[in-house]
This record gives sequence, structure tokens and C-alpha cells, in this order.
Amino acid sequence: MADRIHPTRSSNTKGKNRKVTRRELLTYLAATGSSATVLQASAALGLVPDTTVDIPQIPRVDPVNRPSVVVLGAGIAGLTAAYELDKAGYDCVILEAAPKAGGRCLTVRSGDVIDEVGNPQRCEFDDEDHLYFNAGPARLPSTHRNMLHYCKELGVELEIFINENKEAYVQDDAMLGGKPLKNKLFTTNARGFMAEIMAKNFEPKQLDVAFDDWEAESLIGAIRSFGDLSEDDLYKGSFRAGYLKGGYLEHGVQEDVVAFKELLKSSFMRSVLNANEGETGPVLFQPVGGMDKIVDGFVRQLNNKIYYSVAVTSVETTGDGVAVAYEHNGMKYMLQADYCFNCIPTHLMTGISNNFSPSYREAMAYVRRGEAYKSAFQTKTRFWEKDDIYGGISWTNQPIRQIWYPPHGMFKQKGIILSAYNFGGGMHFTKLSQEQRLETAIEQGEKIHPDYRQQVEKGITIAWHRMNHMLGCSARWQRNRSGMTAEEERLFNRIREPEGNRHYMIGDQVTLHSAWQESAVLSAHWAINDMVKRNSGGSSMPGRRIS
Amino acid sequence: MNRFAKFTITCYLAMGSGLALADQYALVSNDVQPLSNKVCATCHGANGQGNAVVGGPSLAGLEPWYVRNQLLSFRANYRGGQGSYIPAFEMQDSVAELSDSEIDELVAYISTWPALDTPATFTGDMSHGSELYASCAACHGIDAEGNAALNAPALATRDDWYMLRQLKLFKSGFRGGHPDDAIGAQMQAAVSVLETEQDMVDVVAYIKSMN
Ligand SMILES: Cc1cc2nc3c(=O)[nH]c(=O)nc-3n(C[C@H](O)[C@H](O)[C@H](O)COP(=O)(O)OP(=O)(O)OC[C@H]3O[C@@H](n4cnc5c(N)ncnc54)[C@H](O)[C@@H]3O)c2cc1C
Repeated sequence: MADRIHPTRSSNTKGKNRKVTRRELLTYLAATGSSATVLQASAALGLVPDTTVDIPQIPRVDPVNRPSVVVLGAGIAGLTAAYELDKAGYDCVILEAAPKAGGRCLTVRSGDVIDEVGNPQRCEFDDEDHLYFNAGPARLPSTHRNMLHYCKELGVELEIFINENKEAYVQDDAMLGGKPLKNKLFTTNARGFMAEIMAKNFEPKQLDVAFDDWEAESLIGAIRSFGDLSEDDLYKGSFRAGYLKGGYLEHGVQEDVVAFKELLKSSFMRSVLNANEGETGPVLFQPVGGMDKIVDGFVRQLNNKIYYSVAVTSVETTGDGVAVAYEHNGMKYMLQADYCFNCIPTHLMTGISNNFSPSYREAMAYVRRGEAYKSAFQTKTRFWEKDDIYGGISWTNQPIRQIWYPPHGMFKQKGIILSAYNFGGGMHFTKLSQEQRLETAIEQGEKIHPDYRQQVEKGITIAWHRMNHMLGCSARWQRNRSGMTAEEERLFNRIREPEGNRHYMIGDQVTLHSAWQESAVLSAHWAINDMVKRNSGGSSMPGRRIS
Repeated sequence: MNRFAKFTITCYLAMGSGLALADQYALVSNDVQPLSNKVCATCHGANGQGNAVVGGPSLAGLEPWYVRNQLLSFRANYRGGQGSYIPAFEMQDSVAELSDSEIDELVAYISTWPALDTPATFTGDMSHGSELYASCAACHGIDAEGNAALNAPALATRDDWYMLRQLKLFKSGFRGGHPDDAIGAQMQAAVSVLETEQDMVDVVAYIKSMN
């Protein structure tokens, strides 16, 4: 394929040997190869993270003299570390500040409390299996092999999660006077007009890359079918957007064409067509009954080794181990272990006493805490089903950003609808009182579903920036968009190294791809592998290695 | 249930790696969770040492009367109203439902944290800061040791980033601007001598240097 790349194609570069950028390379691959080639190439170039199942191979330890491990925080990373080390014979305990395990992997059901600082709420949903709200993670991409590995190993049943639904809506105050438009109409019309422009301007001879006739024919064919163009290469509407009426027993009538200029008013032109690519592309899964079924799976295996409502107050390395002080029910305790794996958020570790070296502390203090906001309602009926919507997302430019319809519990009386989701933002809501948050969500939801107010009941909100023991969502290492600076690389590499050879920070926070549970798992694997590597040689021998 | 009773029992147990307690995967309960010491610790640090990363100032070593005044001010809406600053908002919400006796218990608990030294995080023009401090000294004392009779807390061991922020809030009227906040109004009037942000930086840097 490399021979197709013309080294001097770009008009704005002077040098003859200008290197082809990654993006250009992908463009060429896309023009010449299958989409599978593009995806594989993307992974190889580091655009889509490429994971392999790498369960650490931990040499079994001497059962008489088992090394002890204290895991701080029962997030997915802490649970993974404890689970693997426990299997290999290590003597593990997990200390968790909250009264339940899972950390951000939080599912809320009838009677549960959302422990938000200054805004604790009790969930009033009806008590039924399908009425739950995944307040943190909700999606498992099929490429997250390690997460899927644990689901399999821990007996967590999965079902398909639906992210994209063309029957759901796109709503933008700037477009069509704020009237919601079915996603199928948005995408079909947008693609039609884009294809028309491409077809009109398709002049194979003017391209920098030489295409032979067959290739040119193939490309124009792809453009026509991309937009469902008429024979004269014009977009005149398409049945892909559905039928206005008829189609089965009578001749179908097409939906009206939506003017391209109208679509261009919306910023969704830049996002809706690719909202379901990369990690949120199909196929996605969700555990049956709630994301925290994964937590339950780990907890079943680690029974009696997890201590709840235990707030770690001090962590010190001692040369041959780590000393941890914690508080439980107003009493203080000390614990000494050979190793410590710690998934407490770095921005909270900076408020926990420690004897860490300045470079380690500097790295912890550098990480910014991310923002995220979600809210949900129980609904009196599954009103979206009458609108042909089963699962998927409606997009809006209002602060609620998204409405998610449950991909499970079809045809039951009620459902839980996600009424706002802003990942990486949501401070608008974070500042509001509970009543204001719910009222705002209703007002904004009404723009998409006119009878929303009559349908919703029992709202619940979660501002991750204000969650007790969390105060944030996904760690931010980069201060600017152009990538990590050398300084940031240095801090990142520092925090991955163990402190005092014994204390490891883990969690999605110490990966380059935070906000995914896969990253949390991989961080634990990385730390365990590093520990094993540093201690290889003596660990499978009875007794303690003394030199 | 008295939420803060548990603060009074403190015991130290040295343990091996096998723990004696075995609470199981419990449901979160409203009675034990909100506004426990853990809520304070989440932002203000495990031992009240503060955590600038999340905007929680140190509390260890604060005068009990000052802690009480501030809890009351947050509860009365004198403080924490500055729209866009989340930590202040969190603080106000956390305190809103506290009863007087709960405030008493909190004040007593916070006073058990031994005073700490907070590091200086910026520098300024010391001689300019020292000149500006002269008028502050009237209430806060020559050595910034504070004066309870005038509701002026000791300053030298406080976080510099926090003091700078508070000066700006007094200046902008977000602190001390409430018509019923007499103590705040006093300080708001006093900050008029600090005209620029640089003035504030210099005076705070000077205050830290007295430590
Ligand atoms: C809104 C939202 C949406 C998301 N969507 C997805 C998704 O669709 N798919 C996906 O895979 N991932 C998603 N994620 C990311 C995923 O939740 C995280 O990557 C993962 O859960 C992080 O696990 P962790 O173990 O690294 O950390 P955490 O879960 O943050 O665990 C940290 C633990 O430390 C505990 N702790 C804090 N202080 C103390 C203390 N002093 N003493 C003891 N313990 C303490 C906390 O209580 C917590 O249990 C989402 C996250 C959010 C918030």
C-alpha cells in the first residue's frame, strides 16, 4: 500500500520529501483498503488503544510465609489487584472508605444512597430488577478484552448495550427552531448532501493519487451509495430516513428533505455522524442487572477480605513494607504489609498523611480531577417505545447533553431513563440544588419529548465532582490538547514507579486512557507485573528472601 | 442518632495483616454517611492538613472560636455564595443542616488536630508586604498571632493560596458582603487598603514569612 503514497502530494509543503502524516496515511488507506485495514492501522498507530488479555503470571508464593498486601480502595483497580494476588497466595486485605465496594463502578437501585457531599440522596425507584441506574460506567466495549475476561471468569452475565439508535433524536436550539429531529433524518440528509457535493466535485484526474478507471468507478459508487443519490448524482431524499406513510401495503411516501443549510446550523454536524465510532462503536455490552454485577463478582471471590467504611488516613513506606493508618467508627488502626496497591484518587492522596518522596507527591498534585455529571428518572411508562425507540441516545446541545433509553426491560411498565450526561463537564448542574437539577432536566427533556414532565418521576442526580471519597471523575494529565508535554511524561512515569519499592499507585488515573474500567484493570496488571519482575528469583522459594 | 459521637472515642490498635473487623458489603445508610468526619476529611485532608488540589484549606490548628464562626457563617449563607466556586458551595451545603450541638461537636473534634505548618506556595515583595501588613496588624497582631476579642484569627500558619483567595473574595464582596455579616463586613472594609492583586500576593507572602 505504501507505493500509493505520493510523497509530494500536498500543495502547501515545499520540500520534496515531506513525510506523510498519520492522518493522510489513514485517508489513503481508507481510500484504498477495507475499513478493517483502517481499524487495524489505527490501533498500530496508537489512535485506538490496542489491548491484549494480559493476566499477570504471578509465581505462587510460599504458603507458610505469605507476603502480605494491603489494597487501598475497592475500585475496579483495587479489586483486580487483590483478586489476582489472592489467587497467587498473597495475604490480601482491601480497605475501602465507602460502605460498599466498586468506587466509580456504581449502580443505584431502590433504597440506595448517593453520597454526594452536601447533597445526599436516597433512590426512590421501585424495587424491580430492571429499574437501576448505572451512575458511573455503563458501557463495555467488545475490545476491552480484560474486562470481558473478568466478566467471564466471575460469571457476570452480559447483554448487548445499544448506543446508537437512529430512531432517537437530535435537538439543537440553532436548528429548525429547536425542534427535535429524528437521528435517521439528520444522518440521512447530512450524508445525502455531503455525497452530492463529493460526487459533483469528483474529478479523478485532479486527485494527487492516480486512480485507474476501476478504482475511480468504485469510489464514485461508494459516494453514491453513501448518500443514496439519484441517477443524476443529486440528493432528493431517501427511504433510509423512513417512510412518512405507507410502504407496505400502499406505496411509501418519503419524509421531506431537511435543508442542508438547516443541518449546518447545528454543531452536531461535527459529531453525530461519528458518535458511534471508536470505543463507543458497536458492539457494546452491559452486565444484566447493572454494571456493579462485576463488583459483586469480585466481592464474591474476595469475601471477608474487604473492610468497608474504613478511611485511610496515613500511608508510609517503611523500607521493607508499607504502614497504613486508618479510621473505622471513630477508632484508629495501624496495619503493616509487605506491599501496597493504592487506587485512592491522587487528588485525595494529597490530603492523606504520607512520607512519600517529593517527586512522587509532585506527580500526585499535578493530576487534575475530571468532571462528570449524570442524572436519571424513573418513568411512569416507557413512552419512548411508542416512538419506536428501544435503547440508544438522543443528543441535544442543552446542558443535559444526552438522554439514554434503557436497552433492557423492553415492554415492561416502567423504565429508568438517563436524563442528563455530561462527561468531562457538567459543572452547570454540579452547582445547582437537587430541586433545580431535576427541574432543569425536565425543562430540557421537554424539548425532545413534549410529555416528558408528565412521564418522569423519582429523579436522582450524581455530580462526580462532589461525590464523597471521589471528588472527581477521570484523571487529567494533559493541561493542553496538543498532547503530553515532556514534563507531564516525566510525572506520569514517576507515578507509575513504585514508591519505596513497595507502594504502587493504580487505577485508571495512572494510565494514558482514563475513564475506562479496562484501564483500571490494566493498571493493576502493570503494577503486579512490575512487582513480580522486581522480586523475581526468590519468590517461589520457602521462607523470606534475605539477600 | 448522634452523628458525631464516634469522634470522641479514639483508640489505637496495632495489628498484623489479619483484621479483626469484618463488616460485609453493606448498603449505604443515610444515618452513618452524610456529614461524618469522612466528609470533612475528603476535602480537608485525613488529619485536617488541607488539600489544595481539591480546594480544601487546612483546619488543623485553627482557633475553635474561629471554626465556629465560619461554620455559622456558612450555615447562615454569609459565606459560600460565590456562584462559580464549587468548594465553597460544597461547604455551604455540607453545613446547611447542622444543628447547634453538632456544630459544637465538630468544633471540639477539629480542635483535636495538632497544628501543622503549611508550606508557602508563592513569594512576593516582602518589604512591600510588610508595609501593607501594618494596617492588618491592628487586628491580627504584629506577629499575625490573632486576636479573639476582635474576631481576627492567627494567620502565619494558614495556607497562602487560601488566604489570597479569601482576600479576593472580601475584595469582590462575596465574603463579608451579606448585610447581617458584621464580622465579615469589618474585614471587607479592611481590605480596601489592598488595591491590586499584587498587593494581596505581597502581603500574604509577608504573612507566611512570619511563620
Ligand atoms: C460518569 C462516568 C461514566 C463512565 N463510563 C464508563 C463506561 O461506560 N465504561 C467504562 O469501562 N468505564 C467508564 N467510566 C470509568 C470507570 O468508572 C473508571 O475507569 C473505573 O471505575 C475506575 O476504577 P479505579 O479502581 O481506578 O478507581 P475508583 O473507582 O475511583 O476507586 C477509588 C476507590 O478509592 C476509595 N477511597 C477514596 N478515598 C479513600 C480513603 N481515604 N481510604 C480508603 N479508600 C478510599 C473510593 O471510595 C473508591 O472506592 C466512567 C466513569 C464515570 C464517573
